[in-house]
Amino acid sequence: MATDDPAPLTDYSPDGVDLTLIRWMLSLPPGERLKLFEQHVNEIIAMRELNAGT
Amino acid sequence: MQELRPTATLRALHDAGVAFILVGGLAAVLNGAPVNTFDVDIVHSRDTANVARILTVLEALDAIFRMQPERRLRPNASHLASTGHLNLMTRYGPLDLLGTIGSNLAYEDLVSRSVELDIGEGLRVRVLDLETLIAIKEELGGEKDRAVLPVLRRTLEEKRKQELH
Repeated sequence: MATDDPAPLTDYSPDGVDLTLIRWMLSLPPGERLKLFEQHVNEIIAMRELNAGT
Repeated sequence: MQELRPTATLRALHDAGVAFILVGGLAAVLNGAPVNTFDVDIVHSRDTANVARILTVLEALDAIFRMQPERRLRPNASHLASTGHLNLMTRYGPLDLLGTIGSNLAYEDLVSRSVELDIGEGLRVRVLDLETLIAIKEELGGEKDRAVLPVLRRTLEEKRKQELH
């Protein structure tokens, strides 16, 4: 479906940094940032181990 | 599977009364920057009593040097009293103990450039501020440090904008 809404759907800085991701991180309290990071990194490690040797 | 438990590492250091400042990638994350890292980097106070407290924690965490892991070399008090960097592996994942960072900045130099953050369940951790993290990475100027600088700079800008509103 076409839309004429002129509002931008992304927000990148001139050097290519996704500002929406930063704003989302800043909206979380530090403890939540740490939990999220821990979960995220462990999921990456699990995926890497599942694909070890490939 | 080796599981990374940075919160458990920070909890162990905190509960033992270790004087330290969280620096590096995890400090960037706690400051709100969407970056990835696999280790916990801290700058510790190198005074004798603090070194003794760290050694107790390292023993509980079964810490060994990551270099030549098969030899299971353990850090001692003189390692911890030095200005150098100790790259360790613990039961909760990699832990780097840094005597100094940047231009010979020690724990005492960095306290005023850090903020104490509440990371839940009574755990409060001193974290290097984003301005200093950026300044040190600019000074180091390595490829790895330069790569993360745009994200850190934009995070700082966004933080400042939010503080104005």
